Amino acid sequence: MYGWIWRHLPGNAWVKAVISLVLVLAVIYVLFQYVFPWAEPLLPFNDVTVDNQ
Amino acid sequence: MAATADETDETTDASEPDPEPRRRPGRIALTVSVFGELLITAGVLLGLFVVYSLWWTNVIADRKADRQAGKVREHWAQGQDSGPGALDTKDGIGFLHVPAMDNGEVLVEKGTGTDVLNDGVAGYYTDPVKATLPMTGKKGNFAVAAHRDGHGAKFHNIDQLEEGDPIVFETRDDWYVYKVYSILPETSKYNVKVLSSVPEESGKEKPGRYITLTTCTPVYTSRYRYVVWGELVRVQKVDSERTPPKELLD
Repeated sequence: MYGWIWRHLPGNAWVKAVISLVLVLAVIYVLFQYVFPWAEPLLPFNDVTVDNQ
Repeated sequence: MAATADETDETTDASEPDPEPRRRPGRIALTVSVFGELLITAGVLLGLFVVYSLWWTNVIADRKADRQAGKVREHWAQGQDSGPGALDTKDGIGFLHVPAMDNGEVLVEKGTGTDVLNDGVAGYYTDPVKATLPMTGKKGNFAVAAHRDGHGAKFHNIDQLEEGDPIVFETRDDWYVYKVYSILPETSKYNVKVLSSVPEESGKEKPGRYITLTTCTPVYTSRYRYVVWGELVRVQKVDSERTPPKELLD
């Protein structure tokens, strides 16, 4: 999977490494900005109130 | 026989340098390697989620809380002459100071929904029980909640509170000094009775001016709720320099 991505990136090893880094950072950004905030309320880690539900 | 043949095959494979480096792996090997990569990815994702919830949400929440706290202080400074009883609940009603929790001042806003609490503030209950705000001067229970971990983690050190410790609530005009008199280290999340205006579980039977702090416990999970009760000891007028009451000076 990752080998396949690496083989399909353009340029020499350095260019590939830089592109990979950018891709990794982009993925982390999307996770922190959109995916985790969406997932967090669905997980039972942060309910601090008492309620009837 | 077959096994021996396989073994010899493998040894010859390993001992000989691979003649063609771009040789395609077999279907099974490919499946196994993709499966392994998926597992690694899942592990990294979970690790990132921990980083997100225990560190990043704090960064975001503290930033927001600081901004909102600054706004409230600014309003107070401007509204010094606007007369008494100006109850501005939009930005926040005041600050909670709990020396035992060692976390500075915590802005208190209306509501206990995640949209409020995720900004790194404490919220007073409006549902299922309406909290009695101390500024009203009425008897009742001032019940607030805040996060134990992540999103500012304002009540992280709630377990450091002991009976007799002060909880001070600062409003524009007054310091409300409460003293902790009862602690419930573990209760069900459905136990809404802890918020009642006379919280019987704390041992009180008569109406008074109480404060209730709730958060989740044990740390990093939300299995139970941790509850701390305090009772109003005295009210001190805010002076022109906003000198904190002596409980906060120790």
